[in-house]
Amino acid sequence: MPPSVTHQLTWPRRTANRVRGLSRLSPTAAAGVVIIVCFGVLALFSEWFMTHDPVSSYPDRILQGPSYEHWFGTDGNGMDIFSRVIYGAKFGFGIAIPAVIIAVLIGIPVGLIAGYRGGALDEILMRIFDGLRVFPSIILALAVVAATGQSLLNVVLVLGFLDSPVFARLVRAEVLALRSSNFVESAIAAGNPTWRILFFHLLPNTIQGAMAQTAVRAAWAVRISATLAFLGIGIQAPTPEWGAMIRQGAEFMVTGQWWVAIFPGIALIFLVFGLNLLGDGIQDILDPRRRASK
Amino acid sequence: MNLLKITDLQTHFVFHDIDNYRREARALNKVNLNLNRGEIVGIVGETGAGKSLTAQSICGLLRPPAKVVGGSVLFLGKELLSLAEEDLNDIRGAEIGMVVQNPKSSLDPLTRIGDQLVRIHQTHTASAISVARSKAIAMMHAVGIPDPEKRFSAWPHELSGGMAQRVLIAMALMNEPKLLIADEPTTGLDVTVQAQILELLKDLVRRFEMGTIIITHDLGIVAHYCDKVAVMFAGEIVEYGTVTDIFRRPGHPYTKQLLASTPEKLKLNEAGSLGGQPPDLFNLPEGCLSQDRCSLASDQCRTPPPVITLETGQTVRCHFALQ
Amino acid sequence: MRQPILRAKNLVKRFSVGRSSSYVNAVNGVDLTIHRGEILGMVGESGSGKSTIGRTLLRLTDPTEGLIEFDGRDITSLSAKELRPLRKDMQMVFQDPWSALNPRMKIGDLIAEPLRIHLKLSEPDLRDRTELLAKKVRLSTEFLNRTPSALSGGQLQRVCIARAIATNPKLIILDEPTSSLDLSVRAGILELLMELREETQAGFLFISHDLGTIKLISDTIAVLYLGRIVELVPKEALFNEPAHPYSQSLLSAHLPADLDAPIQRLILEGEIPSPIDLPSGCSFHTRCPAAVDVCKTATPQPELIAQNHHVSCLRLKDGGNILSRQQA
Repeated sequence: MPPSVTHQLTWPRRTANRVRGLSRLSPTAAAGVVIIVCFGVLALFSEWFMTHDPVSSYPDRILQGPSYEHWFGTDGNGMDIFSRVIYGAKFGFGIAIPAVIIAVLIGIPVGLIAGYRGGALDEILMRIFDGLRVFPSIILALAVVAATGQSLLNVVLVLGFLDSPVFARLVRAEVLALRSSNFVESAIAAGNPTWRILFFHLLPNTIQGAMAQTAVRAAWAVRISATLAFLGIGIQAPTPEWGAMIRQGAEFMVTGQWWVAIFPGIALIFLVFGLNLLGDGIQDILDPRRRASK
Repeated sequence: MNLLKITDLQTHFVFHDIDNYRREARALNKVNLNLNRGEIVGIVGETGAGKSLTAQSICGLLRPPAKVVGGSVLFLGKELLSLAEEDLNDIRGAEIGMVVQNPKSSLDPLTRIGDQLVRIHQTHTASAISVARSKAIAMMHAVGIPDPEKRFSAWPHELSGGMAQRVLIAMALMNEPKLLIADEPTTGLDVTVQAQILELLKDLVRRFEMGTIIITHDLGIVAHYCDKVAVMFAGEIVEYGTVTDIFRRPGHPYTKQLLASTPEKLKLNEAGSLGGQPPDLFNLPEGCLSQDRCSLASDQCRTPPPVITLETGQTVRCHFALQ
Repeated sequence: MRQPILRAKNLVKRFSVGRSSSYVNAVNGVDLTIHRGEILGMVGESGSGKSTIGRTLLRLTDPTEGLIEFDGRDITSLSAKELRPLRKDMQMVFQDPWSALNPRMKIGDLIAEPLRIHLKLSEPDLRDRTELLAKKVRLSTEFLNRTPSALSGGQLQRVCIARAIATNPKLIILDEPTSSLDLSVRAGILELLMELREETQAGFLFISHDLGTIKLISDTIAVLYLGRIVELVPKEALFNEPAHPYSQSLLSAHLPADLDAPIQRLILEGEIPSPIDLPSGCSFHTRCPAAVDVCKTATPQPELIAQNHHVSCLRLKDGGNILSRQQA
């Protein structure tokens, strides 16, 4: 009978517990938050931290190792790698955040409608999504960006679109579970039009799972956009984007100029790592079952 | 000697918050109960009053965060609360039988029902399989399972709710227990099936001279199938006595409320019905626990009420029991 | 004669099971009429189809066959969209108040929702009406800003009732509204319902498996067995002289919480057959002590045996009354 006892917790107490729970993220999630905040500050205020202009080249200082003047050394064009790595944070966030927002804006309504309506519409949408899933996303992204024209905007749109099935599926699964629930039936009995049921009754009760995924999906977007740039698609080299920088640095690895690729690589790893840690932390908070099993 | 003698049994839920702040819900507060052989005692009360918890505390079936923190449970003079787990295992299923709610989820889904009966017999006795088998079939017959030889090899999922409940009763009775605890044995069953099960239980209790505790929220079952009744409120037994005495002359205000709110006694259009919440177990009031819901409550009720024995023999935990 | 608000004729509802060709025969030809100002009680055990009937009557699920007439209008095949404006006049209260309310909406918004949908009110009017409704169901207005998790079961059921009466409907269907509540809480809800009946003059269908509650609140009672109404009878007549063998055994199995109530045990054998394989003829014949050969083949039709008292039994005249036979 323990549930009936916890049931008797008064609400201010429960809310207080929840707030305390939020502030007490697990140490790993807290580390994730610290990493993200650091990168966020770098991205927003990169001008304060950069020691040089990220795209001006110093022809006399090509491929110099780390030094007091150039902390991370210079690249093949004689550009300052430290400044470029810092500036690259703008691209990391600038691609990931809008891509996830687009994915959420497409995926959630599609999932809501498909799950609630069911039938042929649902079948068709889900088969399309299955089709998208069996393709390795990187190849698909590559093909679509190459076909639609190589611009930053296209990369963002394509990533957002390719990632929308993740959110659509999550929301659809929750909607399917809730569609025949008592409160939805009681909403129908009250005379709610479909749009009210979707947005006032189903959306607030299904969105949590999707929101829990955002950080992890942002990590995915950072990774894929860097990969695209590494493959030379979308963002092109001298743009201070980490993937593009690694691509440029890769050719110097063999000749011993390791710093060109290593520093953007470390930045990329840290950002993806931080986002994943945060994502795990959010899921732990939003999903009580996961919390209980720990 | 009483078959079962519960004295001042206290069970709490102990929670540790995320910041290790310890909170206790006082779920059972000084439960006292005596039971003799051949007697059927009903425990009634609302959700959260501690009915099932009492049963689980007796049998040592509590799971954290629930924990017995005081009192004693004497079964045939033996203190159950201080027994080791192995010794308890020897008693549970042998001398104490239990029938629980949700019969369908209480059977092992991967074992034929006959084998489950045989297993429980062989766990506690050294009898040969053939002996256990014939005993199982005899018991299935006794609980009214038609065609027991054939049903012996049935799977739990093939049984209806009523049949599953019969199998559970058969399991509880396999080793001829001296004490039977039935926790909501007919909740979730249809009334016509409930009637079958209750008649069966009553008949078996008389036949085997078992002491029996029936936990229920249905006062109709108590009125017609129990000898005595214990009324629980917020983890306390507020009144205990024979069914006749308590139904005719309830002594505790809460018992009166409870009886008055049965559909039979409820007078609609008569304003001023009870209601209200059970008290917060984390933060119980000083003194009488039902003071917030009692129309008689006065300043006196801020002190713990005495347990008063009326001339009928029923015990009442109330300051005003004699008035 | 009171004005009928809802009529159902030969209502049938089958659900397909999985992808096979077998069906759950939940409702098998039900005729009933609900009048304004009347409480029709519907009693039956699990598998009797009582909840399905309630949901079908409000077109929350589509009937397989039959006719539903609401307020003189055939609503059997109206689309969900055409039904929407009618929902203002027909409302439902569900069994489990914990799950019948959107956990993320505030109580105030939940009560105001039907008003928002069906009536065009200004915000201040809406707030006034909401508070008035809360008072009417005796719910403290301080709860209006809380979410359902802050309320107890009884309070939540009051919210559900407030929602149901918000638009002054002509018909309210209550599906086991008190079954999941504790005794003392249940009493308060029943009192509230009786009060509302006097005030609103709506027609009520009260579905329950508990004869005690049904006896307390209904005017007329429909006894259901395997998706058929076996007896439709004014309350007093049912409790004084139940005519159908099933009604008789149901009554005898009921345990009133009253020492003085005589109980006459008439224990039925077995359990309700599966609605997937309905017994032929009279569906009660597999358990009926009075059954004879003809019950296995012929389907009994409702017969009027007294004023407003309909019974579907083939053995009414010769031996159907098993209670009196037992006494003899």
